[in-house]
Amino acid sequence: MLKVYGLFLVSGLAVGSLYALGGIGLVILRRSTGVLNFAYGAIAAVSAMMCWQVLQWGAPGPIAWGIAILVGVTLSVFYGRLLAPSLAWREPAVKAVATLGYTLILLGMVGVIWDDSPRKLVLPTDKEGVWILGVRVTVTRLIAFGSSIFVVFAMIQFLDRTRIGLNMRALADNRDHSALLGIPVIKVETMAWTISGALAGFTGLMFGDLVRLDPTVITFMVIPATAAAICGRLTSLPWTLIGGLSIGVLEAMLTLYKPLAPLRAMTPFIVAGCVILWMQAGQRLTFAAEE
Amino acid sequence: MKNLTKLLSVSALLAATYITTPAYAEDAPVCGMNSGQAATGDPIKVGGINGNAPPGDFSGGTDAAAAYFACVNANGGINGRPIEYIVENDQWNPELAGQVGTKLVKDEGVVALVGNGSVVSMAVNAKLYKDEGVMAMASACAISDCYENSNIVSTNQGPLPSGIGALKYAVEELGTEHAACIGFNIPNNGGWACDWMNKYMESKGKKGTSILMDPTAVDLNSVYLQALAEGVDTILLMLPSGPAIGLLKVAEEQGGRDQFKWVSPTPIYEPGVEKVIGDYWDGHLYVNIELAQFDSKGADNKNWVAVMNKYGKEGDRRDTFSQSGFISAKFFTDALLKLDAASIDRASVTKAIKGIVGAKSDLLCGAYYVGEADRHMPNHAGRMMVYKNGGFETVRDCYDIDTAYLDPIRAQEKALGITK
Repeated sequence: MLKVYGLFLVSGLAVGSLYALGGIGLVILRRSTGVLNFAYGAIAAVSAMMCWQVLQWGAPGPIAWGIAILVGVTLSVFYGRLLAPSLAWREPAVKAVATLGYTLILLGMVGVIWDDSPRKLVLPTDKEGVWILGVRVTVTRLIAFGSSIFVVFAMIQFLDRTRIGLNMRALADNRDHSALLGIPVIKVETMAWTISGALAGFTGLMFGDLVRLDPTVITFMVIPATAAAICGRLTSLPWTLIGGLSIGVLEAMLTLYKPLAPLRAMTPFIVAGCVILWMQAGQRLTFAAEE
Repeated sequence: MKNLTKLLSVSALLAATYITTPAYAEDAPVCGMNSGQAATGDPIKVGGINGNAPPGDFSGGTDAAAAYFACVNANGGINGRPIEYIVENDQWNPELAGQVGTKLVKDEGVVALVGNGSVVSMAVNAKLYKDEGVMAMASACAISDCYENSNIVSTNQGPLPSGIGALKYAVEELGTEHAACIGFNIPNNGGWACDWMNKYMESKGKKGTSILMDPTAVDLNSVYLQALAEGVDTILLMLPSGPAIGLLKVAEEQGGRDQFKWVSPTPIYEPGVEKVIGDYWDGHLYVNIELAQFDSKGADNKNWVAVMNKYGKEGDRRDTFSQSGFISAKFFTDALLKLDAASIDRASVTKAIKGIVGAKSDLLCGAYYVGEADRHMPNHAGRMMVYKNGGFETVRDCYDIDTAYLDPIRAQEKALGITK
């Protein structure tokens, strides 16, 4: 029985690392700009589809992967520079809902450009793997897992030790005061949108390979990613990582309990709901950082 | 010398004409009255509803029906009257499905619906069709509501017969003892079909296990591991092609090809899938198909290709649903051609459709019929293919399935004289 648990633990960690990656991208942006970007999944979907398209055109893999990241950055910065500033003074909920509109635009665009013919995104790292507790874990899955830990570590260092990181933290504390202190708000926010976009592109690439290259599925991965971010109270990167991994493992473990196995997709909602209830108990508002 | 040259030229021309004419004749679409004259009379309104939005495009049936009706209209229509085919897309939205259903049936007053391909619309509008006495000759059904309604008859099989067809082959040819039916956790789709898979397995003294998952499930690895934990020897992929391919990819990661026998109903048999599956599965993935092979040399299949080439639009899907929409439109047209064109209305069309008995097509393994009944499933015999050499090869031609689900259907067929 222990071996069976081991199988699902490893499997859950692999999926959880994808949730965590998405959550980390959301938290980084939320901390610097106050925007909870629900379009994160749609940006990841467009990135993955563009990667596939470029591969179909015969481009070498590294160029296609680079384009996935570039598309993520472009779409993210496009919204962050052109649309988000006009909502800068609105309530956090309005900012978040506006990104839902961007999600629908991107999803519609994907539907127009690509029909729903079957597609598969394959990375060279899929071929290699190691056996852990009876499950073969491909190098791609290890990359996804390792990346989520690396990004958390790197971002903590970046925020703590660099000037722009300090500016980001200042913005997170109080946007108005930061502007009065002479912090280049637009520049710092653009940097946050860039980092978040790059992470979205990378997450899309991983999702397209490890889950399936389906724009709708990739778009809606923002739900478990948001749940992971909520576990980190939309501010803590390590807790977001732990939240994402926990959701993945819990979701996988539910497979073993037959009555709940078909319903395990609700795991992110339940986890997010429980965390929100717990946070409300402390009287701290979830989305309103300035209140 | 000059005359000889002329004679030789004429002979060469005649020879060339002789050689090329059969090829042209073979490829020319044949539709309805086939008169070559465009229909100019009072239009007959026919509706069609598809679902075309993320996460899926089920427009193949209405695309093909539209192409066939365009061909019919260019060839005399229904005894001189053209078909005005009005297609609506419900975008998988139940509210929109209700609106477009009402628009077509009540506002436009269509005489029938043909080529329908939205599972949402089928569930939402089934009662409307019955109340308004209008028939829907559907082409892309996948839920129980489609097959258990007096006013909906679909040309495609849906997951139940095609899935049991795949299992039957697995039991008889691959030695399956315990199969896992992996489907969506949708009661009238995956739950319905997998329940009947399990009953089928029990009827054969074997074991069946349902593994249901959410349509947006991300952890396909866990689904695969669940099958492994259940100790099954066969996996039936009761899924659309996208998630099925995702699961095959996970199985490939885990080296699962030889741990299970892999069978699937029709969805994996879709143009383009063969390029995605990969060599790893060569000779190991078996798929039951509901209609003829896409490259079949049967007259109706060739006519489907010809009609789509000439009257279809760029981007029209050429899948099983398209074949199904084509043959639905053909049967519908054939039924209407027997009516007095001047007196065609909904009542006469509904009667004509219900009067279809024993229609034949090389696209189908058995006879097509409608009849007066509370449920319809005329197509329940299929073919089995194996993925091989980057394509699909037939391993068993037309064969029927044996399941208690078909008991009322068999009774209808007997009453209509289709079977003894």
